[in-house]
Amino acid sequence: MSTEAHVGRLPATEWDGGALPYRVGHRKLGMWLFIVSDAMTFSAMLIAYSYARVSSDAWPTPFPFYPSIIFSTTMTLFLLASSFTMVMAVRASAHNRLRAARRWIGATMLGGLIFLVLHLIEWEHLIHDGLRPFRLAGAWAERWPQAPPLFGASFFSITGLHMFHVLTGVLYLGVIALRIKKTRHEDVEISGLYWHFVDLVWMFVFPLIYLMSVDFTPGAGH
Amino acid sequence: MASANIRDVFKKSDLLLMGVCMVLAAGFLVLAGLNAVEAGNFLTIDSLFFTAVCLLLALTFVAVPALSMRARGVRPFYVDDEIPPARAHEHVHFEGGTRLFLYVLLGLLVLTVIEVLLAYVHVPLHIMLTLLIGLSLVKAAMIVAYFMHLKFERMSLVLTLIPTLVICICLLFIVFPDSFRAASLRSTPTEAVPSPEGPNSQER
Repeated sequence: MSTEAHVGRLPATEWDGGALPYRVGHRKLGMWLFIVSDAMTFSAMLIAYSYARVSSDAWPTPFPFYPSIIFSTTMTLFLLASSFTMVMAVRASAHNRLRAARRWIGATMLGGLIFLVLHLIEWEHLIHDGLRPFRLAGAWAERWPQAPPLFGASFFSITGLHMFHVLTGVLYLGVIALRIKKTRHEDVEISGLYWHFVDLVWMFVFPLIYLMSVDFTPGAGH
Repeated sequence: MASANIRDVFKKSDLLLMGVCMVLAAGFLVLAGLNAVEAGNFLTIDSLFFTAVCLLLALTFVAVPALSMRARGVRPFYVDDEIPPARAHEHVHFEGGTRLFLYVLLGLLVLTVIEVLLAYVHVPLHIMLTLLIGLSLVKAAMIVAYFMHLKFERMSLVLTLIPTLVICICLLFIVFPDSFRAASLRSTPTEAVPSPEGPNSQER
């Protein structure tokens, strides 16, 4: 029996030794530290994007209400809903209702997959329009002649890294769902932490990438 | 309290009727989905009306089997099972109920909708940025506190993780003020206009 099983009911106080100062197992602490470091990665990328944007003479604001903003808002709603189903999975697992937990995790994976599919459709739109990492789409370059060609680089790198996180999160949850009878509750909770972190990052990517680039032109996108 | 078996409780004719209701409900959902895909401009009165009617009809047809199953004690989504050996000795501490998490979800959804609406208000860029980031920070705090359960963890863990992250992110902002000056620091901004691109965009 590992120490994690006794978390919360150790007799010794912190000063007597033997107690866990954080009252969480080493895996959960490890996931928290990973999340903090990954949050720094994402904040570095988002700050670099903001820097490029603020210091440029112009920046394209190409996203029309339909399809871009509708799509990205729907994606946000699906990600939030999947975060809720994940917390319900952790709760079911805490009460040892394992088949319910597996179903909730399945719903979470479904939400993540819908997010991925919608996002790939969105990417396909932009690539079809001619957006490349270091080249603006032709129509955009005419509309915003002073804009640097960095829009694609920032968009594809930030949302691409986030999409990679969603994909790995779906795979991770799949493994947990398959092995749920062999895992401890803490393992389910840790996978939940990762999934909520993916959701949390999107809460910053969505306004900074999408909502700050809304096309105000009436009739845009029709 | 376990779920009753659906075949023991209902007669065959009832089951058939409920099946027909479910098929009709699914059909109306498919119609609503087809409309959303095919309508082109989804946000018109016609399209929204059609969607609303389809969803209402689907709900009506679902209501019949759902209510009768509930009245007879059939709970299709109920699952109950025994504790596997891997978890038998684990001490689990979990706070928060469905209602709390639903409220958090509702709050997050409302804040998201407010953000999207804000994006369509004409305000100066820095005010918009402050508002959006402020709302996002509130959302992030809600996710971390309730969904990631940090509110119910020990204070020592919170004090280890959060200040570290906040201080590091503040350090990342050290060079940020330069970006406000960058435009005015360029020697001839008007001359720089026609060719701000790098060598990568030559083919354009």
